Amino acid sequence: MTAGPAESTLAAADFDTLSGGLTEPEAIAVARAAAWARFTSLPWPTKKSEEWRYTDLTKIGFEALTPVVPAPATAEALSADVREVLGRSGERAGVVVLREGRVAHLELEPEVARSGVVLSSIRDAADRHPEVLRRALLEAQPGPAEEKLWALHLALLGGGYFLYVPRGVEMPAPIHAFHVVERAGTLSSAHSFVYGESGARAAVIDEFFSDDLDAETVSLHGATITGEGGAGIDYVALQRFGRGVKRFSTQHVVAGRDSRVVTFNVALGGDLSRADVTSRLDGPGSDSEMLALWFGDSDQHFDHHTLQHHAAPHAHSDLLFKGALTDAGSSVFRGLIRVDKGAQLTDAYQTNRNLLLSERSHASALPNLEIEADDVRCSHGATIGQVEDGQLFYLMSRGLTRRQAERLLVFGFFDEVLGRLPMEGVRARVREAIEEKIGL
Amino acid sequence: MSEPLLSIRGLRAKVEGEDGEILRGVDLDLERGEVHALMGPNGSGKSTLAKVIAGHPAYEVTAGEILFEGEDVLELEPDERSRAGIFLAFQYPAEVPGVSIANFLRTAVNSRLGEGEEMDVFGFQRTLTEKMEMLKMDPGFAARYLNDGFSGGEKKRNEILQMAVLRPALGVLDETDSGLDIDALKIVASGVNRLSEADEALGVLLITHYKRILNYIRPDRVHVMMAGRIAESGGASLADKLEAEGYDWLHRAVAAV
Repeated sequence: MTAGPAESTLAAADFDTLSGGLTEPEAIAVARAAAWARFTSLPWPTKKSEEWRYTDLTKIGFEALTPVVPAPATAEALSADVREVLGRSGERAGVVVLREGRVAHLELEPEVARSGVVLSSIRDAADRHPEVLRRALLEAQPGPAEEKLWALHLALLGGGYFLYVPRGVEMPAPIHAFHVVERAGTLSSAHSFVYGESGARAAVIDEFFSDDLDAETVSLHGATITGEGGAGIDYVALQRFGRGVKRFSTQHVVAGRDSRVVTFNVALGGDLSRADVTSRLDGPGSDSEMLALWFGDSDQHFDHHTLQHHAAPHAHSDLLFKGALTDAGSSVFRGLIRVDKGAQLTDAYQTNRNLLLSERSHASALPNLEIEADDVRCSHGATIGQVEDGQLFYLMSRGLTRRQAERLLVFGFFDEVLGRLPMEGVRARVREAIEEKIGL
Repeated sequence: MSEPLLSIRGLRAKVEGEDGEILRGVDLDLERGEVHALMGPNGSGKSTLAKVIAGHPAYEVTAGEILFEGEDVLELEPDERSRAGIFLAFQYPAEVPGVSIANFLRTAVNSRLGEGEEMDVFGFQRTLTEKMEMLKMDPGFAARYLNDGFSGGEKKRNEILQMAVLRPALGVLDETDSGLDIDALKIVASGVNRLSEADEALGVLLITHYKRILNYIRPDRVHVMMAGRIAESGGASLADKLEAEGYDWLHRAVAAV
């Protein structure tokens, strides 16, 4: 399966080749063209920029990658690997499979569809809900250091799905989306669009995977997650790419009045994995919980960049990111709590904990506050530590090898975060993926 | 097999990186099926001996040997000693938040089975439930995080539970009785007795400060440790003498040597 006649490297690409001669909804064509112009005019950020000090973008051969041209959705049968995971993942309201961003399979429980829930490709959404799409994308304007990658993501937009949950509708189970990358040497992009109207309840798990690929491959991902007044949204991104893949995900949450949005990022695979997660507390009484876990071995590098942006008073945000590293694994966490002047009575917390299992592993933690209001409760903290000798000896004295004991301690270390995942079925799926990775 | 289950010869040990030996020539033989009590005042080296037998990395053995079933174990890692059949019930068990007792113990059980022979979840659960009933433990206990927020009594009971599940050849019980009220002490003691009944070859080295537990677990031999050595060994009546007369007479005897 190829993406059409117009394959070229990114260096040789122009906007026409990126469109592949396809007709597409105007909302998307216009946004993509503007993004492409923006992308070509911006320089790549270098290590001189604080945001990219520990993750060197200039070492990635973007120019030599083959951009995957946005293609219309197809309706393929579920592949064996997807069916296998689904068989072990509990209940769900729908399934999406994306191959290099292209929607290859999409199904929604008929009963859920009858309640008014929309699950479609972004392309179809641009025809039917252009205004919702446009607004969400406009609001998701990342910081200057992220702009180059975000522009590239938008320029390739076309892949991805759109979930819309109308007022007061509570979805009975999550949507399970699979983002599959199969072709080595490609640059592809997909977007997860989740929108909950007032009082809606929605849950989504995005699962990213590939085999080990033998050439540098880049997967871009964006998520825009919006909860209107009183909505509740749980969003999980489970990244278990194979080696060879470098992954950049930009996630943007807007939490309206009295809404509650949970994001949970799990990074296990790939050579390099970066997630840039912004939560904008947009309405009074809104609540954002931001969770993440990562486990890095070999020479994997994980980068988590977060912003808790309190734009409204009486809002609450709580971030808990935990990572464990072994071999020559490395990670960086850079987080900021920003409280606008009018956001009085903000309650905001930010915690990053790192566990190093080897001499060669390395973690950086850079928590930060920027507070303009004067009546707030904010705290932030970060730790980098090793396994406790007393715990290690205790477990080994029961026959566990050092490796088993260490891995069990990592699991214990992660449990606090896993326990905060609201959906039992999704929690089981995430736990299983982590077990598979750390090899208990 | 004629060699003792545990044979300690001229064992000297100190805290790694520090001067001053804590164990200064320990000799002790324990046969299969025997229960030995090891008593002695605070700081005499009882707990150090227990940890050195289990292979605690904070201690350095400077001389002597520990033979377990005739094999020198000093070069073995703590996990290898455990899988060989040595079990230490800790005086102060580590707290491990986030790891449930069931998950931990299943990993420990499977670590001594070959690949492909691992116990399945249900088989393991049956064993665990049975042992917990024996120790009068609430079934919900297995789901709790390992020692996390446990009372002193719960920790000690949990140690004996692990011993019951792992079925060692030698159990070294380091002050398992301390901090227990009389009811908890009886439960723990009867648990140890039932393990001895179920496995006639089980050897137990019972380290204690007080004679109290010896009213429930009858020792075959009693040793008294003083200043890093076994100062006196005898039958069960030695414990009665210590109870009546304290350690002073031994202090004087050791000083006279």
